[in-house]
Amino acid sequence: MPFNRLFACAAVLLALPALVRAQPAQPSQAELIQSLIDQVRRLEKRVAELEGRGPSQPVSPAPAAPAPEAAEAKPLTGRAEHMPAHEISQSTYPSLKLAGFTDVNFSSSSLRGARSGFNEGQFILHFTGALSQKVNFLGELSFSARPDAGTGTPAATGFNAEIERSIIRFEQNDYFKASFGRYHTPINYWNTAFHHGQWLQTTVSRPEMTQFGGSFIPVHFVGGLVEGAIPAGGLNLNYNAGIGNGRGSVISRAGDFGDSNNNRAWLVNLFARPDHPYGLQFGGSIYRDKVSPAGGLPAREWIQSAHIVWQKENPEFIAEFANVRHTPLGSTVSFNSQAWYVQTAYRLPFAERLWKPYYRFEYIHISRSDSILRAVPSLAGSVAGVRYDISSFAALKFEFRNQRRPGQPRVNVGLIQPSLTF
Amino acid sequence: MGRLTLFLFFAVAALTSAVASAGDVAIVVRADLPADNLSFSEVRKLFTGDRQFWSSNLRVTLLIRAPAARERDMVLKTIYQMTEAQFRQYWISKVFRQEAASGPKIVYSNEMTAELVFAIPGAVAFVDASQVPKGLKVLKIDGRLPGEKGYPLH
Repeated sequence: MPFNRLFACAAVLLALPALVRAQPAQPSQAELIQSLIDQVRRLEKRVAELEGRGPSQPVSPAPAAPAPEAAEAKPLTGRAEHMPAHEISQSTYPSLKLAGFTDVNFSSSSLRGARSGFNEGQFILHFTGALSQKVNFLGELSFSARPDAGTGTPAATGFNAEIERSIIRFEQNDYFKASFGRYHTPINYWNTAFHHGQWLQTTVSRPEMTQFGGSFIPVHFVGGLVEGAIPAGGLNLNYNAGIGNGRGSVISRAGDFGDSNNNRAWLVNLFARPDHPYGLQFGGSIYRDKVSPAGGLPAREWIQSAHIVWQKENPEFIAEFANVRHTPLGSTVSFNSQAWYVQTAYRLPFAERLWKPYYRFEYIHISRSDSILRAVPSLAGSVAGVRYDISSFAALKFEFRNQRRPGQPRVNVGLIQPSLTF
Repeated sequence: MGRLTLFLFFAVAALTSAVASAGDVAIVVRADLPADNLSFSEVRKLFTGDRQFWSSNLRVTLLIRAPAARERDMVLKTIYQMTEAQFRQYWISKVFRQEAASGPKIVYSNEMTAELVFAIPGAVAFVDASQVPKGLKVLKIDGRLPGEKGYPLH
């Protein structure tokens, strides 16, 4: 270690002056001075090698400011155009940035009557914009292929357009941010961490408990949220608390047009990202609503959920649990349904760290007497696959899925999915 | 003779100090920023976007060196504990979740870093400790400056 040698030299040199002062002048002093001069030259050479690139100053601050020359910069992802530095330093409102995700899937299934082939995944456009220093907007549009394209009068379009998220947010500070709009309901880790960004998630498919159009948990939420950090030392606690419309009369839908009843849904979510170990996140949520399904009996809904996540890739670990409890109005009997999954993956350290095998086991139990979730089948299944990162912004995933539902034969599915962000 | 020895001693000590801090990365801010010393955890929160405000009226603006800069490699390794690919995905994901309004700004040189830190109130950046642009304040981390024993960005 060169620095160690330098420190050793410095230590010797620190001791030398005292020794020199303690002794009368003698012929060897000239040699000592020559030795010190040699040391200075060597250190000067070493400093020049390390600095190499131009003028510098000592670490302590100095008053004068240089006039730096103009340069170029770009946002981190490299998506936006290059901008001169002086433009970066000036805030302009509104500012709009556009990004997106998309994927294509090939699937083959052992299910009788199922056809293998390609299908276009969701095409997602993601808008972010600052309206002022403290107010920003996020919008997310999805385009999903329709199975009934071209049928009916007028003919159905090839794709459904949907506003997935539309959120205006005021940020007072790290401890208080208030927003209104349409959200991914923050009662489930996967639902907010990945949602429509297939490229972001390790696997091809989502856990069944958070499937697109699924009913087990309310995937979207229309209303208002407050969120922020809670001073809690190294625990780094964060909160979300919200009130909104809850499920619509079609329970897989949020109440976009309005609430299906006069009772608002509310939720509280707490999660921690402790300083140590860095990479750990854990938390839990509660969600309360009155559900009024079309053609069904209204019921009180309680959802409790918890998650623990190791956010690194050596290994990656995600586990979630949710319990959905429905109590029909006027009844004292409640029905509990549970869903959980455990997913693990490992970024292989060789081959440029491009390969990441993974495995997930998931389980859903639906109470047979729960009329609200009657359409949601119970499930036990495994997902295994490997992700190969083609570039920093695109991945190719190969996945095998094995699922068993009550009263149905075991189904094996093979999937290949290129996915990307742009 | 004694004076010459003393001069050489101080020269060697100064050069040794410069060599020691040359391998370190300094966290720099504007001189008027109301912060002098942060814990390593606070530095990590700043750079991971988990802390986005210095105060209610002062937002943090992150400036990150472009890929291939030695300082960036060190910060990714020590603060983020991520590879380049993980770092990119991290910020895309962060913006996607609306946990951050935007990712860090990329800077390509010490001069550009200095220009932006001077121009943007609340900007925070990192530079080679031996090349700190004049007029910027170097933040202590856990009470230590670059070059001091135990400084974490080494």
